[in-house]
Amino acid sequence: MPQLLNEKARIVANEKVGPRLHLMRLESPQIASSVKPGQFVHMKVPAAESHVLRRPFSVYASDVDRGAVEILYQEVGSLTRIMPSIAEGDVEMIGPVGNTWAGPERFKEGSCTRALVVGGGVGAAPLFMLTEQLIGAGCATDVVLGAQTKDALVTLGRYTQLLGSEPAVATDDGSYGHAGFCTALVEERLREGSLADGGAYDYLAVCGPEPLMRIVASIAADAGVPCQVSMEKRMACGVGACLSCVVDTTSGKKRSCVDGPIFDANEVVW
Amino acid sequence: MAVKPRETKVKLAVNLAGLEMKNPVTVASGTFAAGREYSDFVDVASLGAVTTKGVSLNGWEGNASPRIAETPSGMLNSIGLQNPGVAHLREHELPWLREVGATTIVNVSGHSFGEYVDVIKALDGTGMVDAYEVNISCPNVDAGGMTIGTDPKSVEQVVGMCRQATKLPLIVKLTPNVTDISEIARAAEAAGADALSLINTLLGMAVDARTRRPQLARVVGGLSGPAVKPVALRLVWETSKAVKVPLLGMGGIYNGTDAVEFMLAGATAVAVGTANFGNPTATVDVIDGIIDYCEQQGVEDVNELIGALEC
Repeated sequence: MPQLLNEKARIVANEKVGPRLHLMRLESPQIASSVKPGQFVHMKVPAAESHVLRRPFSVYASDVDRGAVEILYQEVGSLTRIMPSIAEGDVEMIGPVGNTWAGPERFKEGSCTRALVVGGGVGAAPLFMLTEQLIGAGCATDVVLGAQTKDALVTLGRYTQLLGSEPAVATDDGSYGHAGFCTALVEERLREGSLADGGAYDYLAVCGPEPLMRIVASIAADAGVPCQVSMEKRMACGVGACLSCVVDTTSGKKRSCVDGPIFDANEVVW
Repeated sequence: MAVKPRETKVKLAVNLAGLEMKNPVTVASGTFAAGREYSDFVDVASLGAVTTKGVSLNGWEGNASPRIAETPSGMLNSIGLQNPGVAHLREHELPWLREVGATTIVNVSGHSFGEYVDVIKALDGTGMVDAYEVNISCPNVDAGGMTIGTDPKSVEQVVGMCRQATKLPLIVKLTPNVTDISEIARAAEAAGADALSLINTLLGMAVDARTRRPQLARVVGGLSGPAVKPVALRLVWETSKAVKVPLLGMGGIYNGTDAVEFMLAGATAVAVGTANFGNPTATVDVIDGIIDYCEQQGVEDVNELIGALEC
């Protein structure tokens, strides 16, 4: 296993980008230079002494030249609700933690030619570096994004810029793109094939709420497309020691922190 | 980069009932696996000892998820002693601990009295264990664990059987979830325990009001962290007055001062548990903090602190 760092990082930006959604930029040169798509940092949130546990945040983007990483976070609990009020300053982060999407290995063998990337809510963040990697490797990559509302589509701009055209989008309230869940768009894509040439996808990566991942995994299985998911469980140590974050798999319980967070969908027992 | 405690003239070595520790700090079982996961952060050989995750004869799956919940200044866990069994520990983890030069305490678990003995028999004579900690206090299993440790007769019986199985130092880990810990402590001592460790976690629960569901799949779990420290200190102090054997104190230890408080209350050594999750170098930070305290207070040997509470 590669070495884990407990790096002192400096928060250089922490701004609201949507409803309960925030983008934090951290100077963390060692993690920035070694993080791979799908990996996360385990952050000790400062000024929150009564919270004894760190929190895992997927890395959204890494800027090696400036030694910085970005995380996209949503206010969901008592700790993430105080995070927007953290001013610039130092935080401790363990990282980069976890495995990476299987994508790259598949390109080396030249077996991934058409990929579909599906991100629900903040789940779009840990897929961004994968999408960069897929495109860089010459894989025709289509993206489907889902969010509750138009305002919450905070990754849309970056994905559009990366792809050169706007991804397929669904909002729960119909305020932008397809009205309803993004699973309908996934079904459509798998039915019609890659936007590039109509050919069948040979890789699907999905991250988002567990029910979404479960449904997308099932759709992918029906279509015979290899699918990977990124699992998030309540986590304590973040280094593989405590066995808090286990995922039920066909080969027993595995740790989402260091055995994951990326799992082959057909391995997960939902 | 793995850190180790700073240099000092203070004498840090303690002897826990025959277990020679280079300093008084080990880890609480279950928070540190068998050390390897933390070896990127701390030199595990520089700790007084590494106490391994509870091990049973055959593998245990543990409990359903969610297994943890954060609570104010603490956390609940109901891992349920998930482990791959004693053969895996013997073949894959203990050799690594020996190789890096760590002092090793193996935490022994079982569903039945006989299983505790079988685990010890599977390890005794391998030369890879320095002491055993018998876990009769886990609140997260239906058989074994706390069900044994709350009844003096069961305690006496299982500790007696373990005592017959080994000549190595035998530490018995006590639960705080009893009316009178003195009675349990005396039963363990009478049956041949060389030392007692305390406290295991306090049974608690957390509820999600919005979903009207418990936060843990198993409903109840063990509370740990700074929230339990006052309870742990009180129980260490009470136990130190009830028995003659040395104590390994734990419960919410986060820094050197916390550790010193436990030693003053009667502990010969201490364990760092939940603190590891928030700070992967917590163990070494605690040792450094003990050194700071001793240097500032003019304490030449940490043994001067044991039971030195003035009251």
